[in-house]
Amino acid sequence: MSFLELTNVRKLFGQVAAVENFNLHVERGEFVSFLGPSGCGKTTTLRMIAGFELPTDGTIRVNNKDITFQPPQKRDTGMVFQSYALFPNMTVADNVGFGLMIAKKSKAEIKQRVDEMLGIIKMFGLGNRYPYQLSGGQQQRVALARALAIRPQVLLLDEPLSALDAKIRISLRAEIRAIQRQLGITTIYVTHDQEEALSLSDRVVVMNNAKIEQVGTPFEIYNFPQTEFTAQFVGTLNTLQAQVRDAARGALVVDGQEISTAQKLDGFNAGDAVTISLRPERVAFYGELQKSNVLNVTIQNITFLGSIVRIQVRSGENIFYMDEFNNPFLALPKIGDQQQITFSREAVLVLKSGDARGKTF
Amino acid sequence: MKRFPIFGWLIIVLGILYFFTPLVGTLEWSLRIVSRDSFSLNAYTNVLMSERFQRTFGFSFIAALATIVVSVLLVAPTAYWVHLKLPRLRPWVEFVTLLTFVVPAIVLVFGIVRVYSRPPFSLMETEWGTNFLVIMGYTALSLPYTYRAVDTGLRAIDVRTLTEAAQSLGAGWGTIIFRVIFPNLRVALLSGAFLTFAVVMGEFTISNFILPGIVSFGPYMVNLNQTRPYEAAAVAIISFGLTWTSIGVIQLLGRGAPGQLAGTR
Ligand SMILES: Nc1ncnc2c1ncn2[C@@H]1O[C@H](COP(=O)(O)OP(=O)(O)OP(=O)(O)O)[C@@H](O)[C@H]1O
Ligand SMILES: [Mg+2]
Repeated sequence: MSFLELTNVRKLFGQVAAVENFNLHVERGEFVSFLGPSGCGKTTTLRMIAGFELPTDGTIRVNNKDITFQPPQKRDTGMVFQSYALFPNMTVADNVGFGLMIAKKSKAEIKQRVDEMLGIIKMFGLGNRYPYQLSGGQQQRVALARALAIRPQVLLLDEPLSALDAKIRISLRAEIRAIQRQLGITTIYVTHDQEEALSLSDRVVVMNNAKIEQVGTPFEIYNFPQTEFTAQFVGTLNTLQAQVRDAARGALVVDGQEISTAQKLDGFNAGDAVTISLRPERVAFYGELQKSNVLNVTIQNITFLGSIVRIQVRSGENIFYMDEFNNPFLALPKIGDQQQITFSREAVLVLKSGDARGKTF
Repeated sequence: MKRFPIFGWLIIVLGILYFFTPLVGTLEWSLRIVSRDSFSLNAYTNVLMSERFQRTFGFSFIAALATIVVSVLLVAPTAYWVHLKLPRLRPWVEFVTLLTFVVPAIVLVFGIVRVYSRPPFSLMETEWGTNFLVIMGYTALSLPYTYRAVDTGLRAIDVRTLTEAAQSLGAGWGTIIFRVIFPNLRVALLSGAFLTFAVVMGEFTISNFILPGIVSFGPYMVNLNQTRPYEAAAVAIISFGLTWTSIGVIQLLGRGAPGQLAGTR
């Protein structure tokens, strides 16, 4: 039995399916992110766990108790919203203590817990401020403290950092993760920012179009994407069109040039069209490195991104990127140059797409 | 800096003349009760000392407070619920609240009198009955003001998210409405309340047809106008003063409200 279980959860809004066939088991103390593009159903799923939406089908269980039809007040979940949603008429201390006041705790106990929470979010002594006297980052920390003060069984966060600027986003996300570890609280974190999901989570649920695409550790999601969508959404998009030449040898053809993959191609026949993914950081210029695959390409564009330089190349119909680490002695090609690039057989992943022939990996 | 055009000044002067000439005239008239050549405050002391002024003013004052309570309790939860759960009904609710602008008060009164002067609702015979009816009528008249004010207040806060935040912390509906929503509508509720107050203090039609004799302030003023013109002018000035004080108080309270805008979205 897992701590939080969603089984065959589905949500229809009228005729439109916002969430379909959603199955997920989350262990106690685990940090799980829902990652996906706008409108894919992340918020709807989270709101069903919180009790703000009722599933059309399926069950939700927390700690072995069916909560599918419980009102939000009875669920014992803490929620943090993108817009902070602090009560503007209350001080920081009253906001944090609100849930405890509802639970009819004694004044002394409330004060003690509020102080403890303010310590955890490093805002001790700011209890008398009103929300409008705080920065966005501080407001969101208070919202986190408010959600945690009632010691909920599950903490739910819906894009809590997306209203903040980049620097604060990064420091606050580390802080959220540290607090989560310290309290050992089971957490679901919704985001459309892949970097956030990959850097924070124990496991990531990649969603698209109301469905789960893939569930896995950040390492698995990034290095072994199972679907074209995951490969494109997580990390930089690099997909190439190819044909199978010889399934037994793992031989493929890209723009008339043969490459090979380390992956087993059971079930494919010579001539089948496939989509392959190739991470930009796994491609290098031939000469710097010599891997088993070599492609002739034309340099299309060069973009300086700080620590890396991203080079857009073209081979026939395929346009894709390669990344080079930046250093002062980097010899860059010119736009329009013909170059040879190289990558290993292991870097070539054949994806199952929407109409794939049921390949599993 | 652009020069203020002549045309602008002209409009301002015309506006001031238009609004203040009658007021100054009334004020001047009210001060001439003793003779044409000298000023005196006798009209004011006469009025303020008179038992009928005190009685009708007191009645309307209390009726206004009752109306405020009834209309706030009626409108605020309704508007809140419409915002939260039935946003598509918003135009309809707004239309209903505006009906009192469309239906003349006299029609409203005849409707009330017809329905409530015979069984099963014979409310016109007792003092309690007529007081009740009059307050309900005032409430109907105040709907557009109270609803507008509350609606504006609700728009300024993120009603749905605040409600959900409170729910996830375990709060029930009573707690949410009285501890989270109402406090954040303080300014809106106050401005609705003062407008209602002003409307009720000056109301004539409903009071005149439902209440027996001259019980409330509006009919008293009209009656006074017919019998004692100087005192009537004094009363008019007094009620102007009251209204302006109300507006001033709204402004003052509105300024000091914490967190009406910041950090709620
Ligand atoms: N109350 C609602 N009524 C009708 N449709 C809704 C409702 N809420 C969400 N939807 C639809 O359900 C789908 C999923 O929405 P959801 O808010 O879960 O997306 P999301 O993944 O959170 O997206 P975002 O990243 O933009 O927040 C969308 O197509 C949305 O239009
Ligand atoms: Mg969302």
